[in-house]
Amino acid sequence: MALDTTPKGWRSWVRYALLIVMAIIILFPIYTTIVASLKPGNRVLRNPLVPDSFTLDVLGDAWTQGRLGRYLWNSAVVAVIVTAFQLITSIASAYAFSFLRFPLKRFFFAIFMATLLVPFEVTLLINRRTVDSLGWLNTYQGLAVPFLATAFGTFLLRQVFMQIPKDLNEAASMDGLGHWGFMREVAVPLVRPTLGALGLFSFLASWNQYLWPTMITTEDDMNTIQSGLRLLRSSDLDKPNLIMAGTIIAAVPILVVLVVFQRQLVRGLTAGAVKG
Amino acid sequence: MNMRTTKTRKNAAFVALMAIAVSACGGGGGSIVDSGTTEAPATSDGGSSTEAPSTSAAPLSELPPCDPTALDGADGTVELTFWHGMNGELEKSLVALTDEYNASQTKVKISLENQGGYEQTLDKYLQSGSGSLPDLVQAPEYAVQVLNDTDSNVPVGACIEADAYDTSDFQAKALDQYFTEGVQWAMPFNVSDPVLYYNKKAFEAAGLDPETPPTSLEELRTMSQTIVDSGAAAFGLALDTGADSGGGWFLEQWFAKLGEPFSDNDNGRTAPSTKVLFDNQTGVDLLTELQSLVDDGLAYNVGDNASGQDALLKLADPDKPAAMTIATSAALGTVLSVVAAGTIAGVGVNDIGVGPMPGPGGAPGAIVGGASLWIVDNGDAVKTAASWDFVKFLVSAQTQSTWAAATGYVPVRSTALDLDPVKTTYAEDPRFRVAYDQLGEAADSPASVGAILGPQREIRNITAQAIATILQGAQVDTTLKAAANAANSLLADYLASNG
Amino acid sequence: MSGATKRRWRDVPLAAVMLGPSLVVLVAFVLYPLGRAVWLGQQRCNVQATKCRSVGWGQYTDVLMSNEFQSAVWVTVKFALITVPVGLALGIGLAVLADKHMRHIGFFRTVFSSTVATSVAVASLMWLFLLQPSVGVLANIGWLNDIFPVIKEPGLLNDKGTALSSVAISSIWANLGFTFIIITAGLQGIPRELQESAFVDGAGGWRRFTNVTLPLLGPTLLFTTVVLTSRAFQAYGEIDLLTNGGPVPQQSTTTVTYLIYGSSSIIKSNEGLKAAVAVLLFVILLGLSALQFRGLGKRVHYGS
Repeated sequence: MALDTTPKGWRSWVRYALLIVMAIIILFPIYTTIVASLKPGNRVLRNPLVPDSFTLDVLGDAWTQGRLGRYLWNSAVVAVIVTAFQLITSIASAYAFSFLRFPLKRFFFAIFMATLLVPFEVTLLINRRTVDSLGWLNTYQGLAVPFLATAFGTFLLRQVFMQIPKDLNEAASMDGLGHWGFMREVAVPLVRPTLGALGLFSFLASWNQYLWPTMITTEDDMNTIQSGLRLLRSSDLDKPNLIMAGTIIAAVPILVVLVVFQRQLVRGLTAGAVKG
Repeated sequence: MNMRTTKTRKNAAFVALMAIAVSACGGGGGSIVDSGTTEAPATSDGGSSTEAPSTSAAPLSELPPCDPTALDGADGTVELTFWHGMNGELEKSLVALTDEYNASQTKVKISLENQGGYEQTLDKYLQSGSGSLPDLVQAPEYAVQVLNDTDSNVPVGACIEADAYDTSDFQAKALDQYFTEGVQWAMPFNVSDPVLYYNKKAFEAAGLDPETPPTSLEELRTMSQTIVDSGAAAFGLALDTGADSGGGWFLEQWFAKLGEPFSDNDNGRTAPSTKVLFDNQTGVDLLTELQSLVDDGLAYNVGDNASGQDALLKLADPDKPAAMTIATSAALGTVLSVVAAGTIAGVGVNDIGVGPMPGPGGAPGAIVGGASLWIVDNGDAVKTAASWDFVKFLVSAQTQSTWAAATGYVPVRSTALDLDPVKTTYAEDPRFRVAYDQLGEAADSPASVGAILGPQREIRNITAQAIATILQGAQVDTTLKAAANAANSLLADYLASNG
Repeated sequence: MSGATKRRWRDVPLAAVMLGPSLVVLVAFVLYPLGRAVWLGQQRCNVQATKCRSVGWGQYTDVLMSNEFQSAVWVTVKFALITVPVGLALGIGLAVLADKHMRHIGFFRTVFSSTVATSVAVASLMWLFLLQPSVGVLANIGWLNDIFPVIKEPGLLNDKGTALSSVAISSIWANLGFTFIIITAGLQGIPRELQESAFVDGAGGWRRFTNVTLPLLGPTLLFTTVVLTSRAFQAYGEIDLLTNGGPVPQQSTTTVTYLIYGSSSIIKSNEGLKAAVAVLLFVILLGLSALQFRGLGKRVHYGS
């Protein structure tokens, strides 16, 4: 920038210094966790900041003892099911609200939007019983079904659909394309970027569920990584390095997902902000 | 009552934001448990005399039956689910025992399901419909009344009777904990009681005899004084106010030690308790002494024991350690393995001493902690018989010997002491025997067995809060009175809802 | 049948197919339980909640007036008042700091977004290991304990003065990645020319920030505020793992959600009271979002 006439030197030094200080603060908990998970039990309390001894045994123990592999698998299965269904149900209902004519449309839309205002914590109590009476405790459907539809996704996609000119839809039906054809050829391609964002949003929200899986899981085989970490926590605080190793293992897969889908992440998390 | 301190700070700037909540502020709210009850809650001060509820004990004939022979007619393997709350080393030992049982025969196969702790086990049990219940559940000692009221169990007494099972060598205290209104509801499995853990090196450094820990509250005070004065440790005693530990023990255990009832209707054993009695002079005296131990710098309060082991870890504090703490005997195995790993600098396995829990007058005796086995009534005689078979295995003398040696729990029957490994363990390491002896020495009266209360867990939270408040300097008698009132409200509501 | 009516009804089967699944899920798992909870809130139940009796709608006002509920609301509000402004300020600060093309900036951006990979369980356990008074990291750094003895005695999570702030710090940390990413994206959406023309007009750095950048970030900041607020009001996992609602006796970290679901809650086996508290939480959040939307005059929606 030619306009910039300020003495650049010290300014960028200050900026670097600030960046480094903030980075150290933010990385501190992660650093101590990694250090602890690489230390044998008898060394954890000494020099907690210095990686003065090294072993992979603790990570191995956490993996086998805590059955973290199974928990991660369960979380992945549930998150993928939830994401897939949320995308499909959102497209379908957003399409219906945008392009179909049917009675009581506004009423139904109001119902959808009303659900946005109900925090999940309020419904958990009753949902626990519903899922129980359906025989779905300790099942993937129990973990996933309450989250298969999202008014948020419906709203988001409808915002995009509404930008498609009505004539385009009329013309398509003239051409005999029909609604399914129009959806496939025009509507869905148009919202593809939003879908990526919504998908990642759904995936993260499902992956991070804590209260629900701890409530409806009574079999170890069906714990998710979050409820599994809770089990590990109640196991033994006298082995902090074991718990730390568990958290590292739990964090790595999602880190990989985020690195791979970094662009969708930014769009996903900001999806709500751009739409007004 | 307990939340009063926050009320004064209510008039902050964002009143508008929280208009709903604050509008109620001026009214001076009561406890949440009194909500919706139009009649005044029962108070412990004279007014509402306890009309004794019908003491009609539920005879076994009216309860779900147990037919141990049903297993003989079963075709194929009976698969059972067992919910438990054992973690860490305890879980490993339980898994090993269960594997042994499953391998030893083909009629019954047990699947263990860890629910993460007693609390979670109980919560999930209560929330689940009858179709989602396990076949067998491990429930803590404070859940007796609650589980009775679910009407979802086959009392083990029915199996004991039908099987002519000999319980003469059982620890009477352990069985009695799960015996109320004339019925043996559950089988004690993992029995523990609070014991004193102490650092022998600190005792030596203070010039005390490392083999003679304090037994009375007076000795606790003088020895703590010696330890602190000599600089052998920063504090004599580390204590906690957790509902599962100190916060429950200091009143319940000490009342039992003194033979004083904790609640009415013979500690809830002839009929459900309707009010608590801990706010009497005995309670005031005990907590006044505890308070002064802390005030005088002799005891250190680690708080509500969120980690479950905060008080024990205070012994390992490299900077300001305590020389003694009171913790469950079930932690002994863990403590020794942690010490063996070198976690506490300069303290070896043999430097850890164990003694009976000190208490008023130095009288021996403790009430039972830990948990028991409950057979779930699934309306299936074969499953009931299979569950009973596994229960018998878990409380057999040999299993109890193995279990006790591995964990520090107390064998529920005396014949287990004649068998290895616990025979050797007790001979070689008498520390493991302290909790067993402490239990056996107890006198056998309803007052010394401890109380059974409907909302027992919640009432422990209340006493734990009261003790915590007192240790922070609150006035003892009024704090205890308020706690008793809250507890009585809970009891009244519980009886109205579950009667 | 007229043509218009025909067209009005023609799409009905298709609409049923498309809306049906969502409608079933939302009604069964959001609206029905809400209705049930409202009804349950005026009842008292046995321990299994299989037998309930009505005690009257007055139970709601009684709960509202009760010490425990007011304390929990107060704790929740304090928690939100710490986590939201601090989280927002840190997010803005970091985003502005990293919003410059310079060497290694990619590294710093990755670091600042990194906590988005931690779930509430992961983040809370990391902080537990930092803060625990005996085996925790901070408690084993000698000089730090000399300056702040509270780290060890009684411990940041056990002291009634520091417990809530400590949980809040863990929560702010866990949300920081999210906040940073959103605000960074918002910054990048601001046209450079606006900044530059303000510069030409002679506006200094700070004035450029307050007069140009902040207003243009408005929708982003509103969205972030709404999300952070709703997270604060629904905080559960961090409390469950770090403090169990304690320290007693003040119940310094028993938030409304923890009062309903926490294992040390005094109403844990009382389904009717739990429902009443849950419904009141809903009403509070409803009022809060109405305030937020109206106050900032912009329509922004956030997800579940």
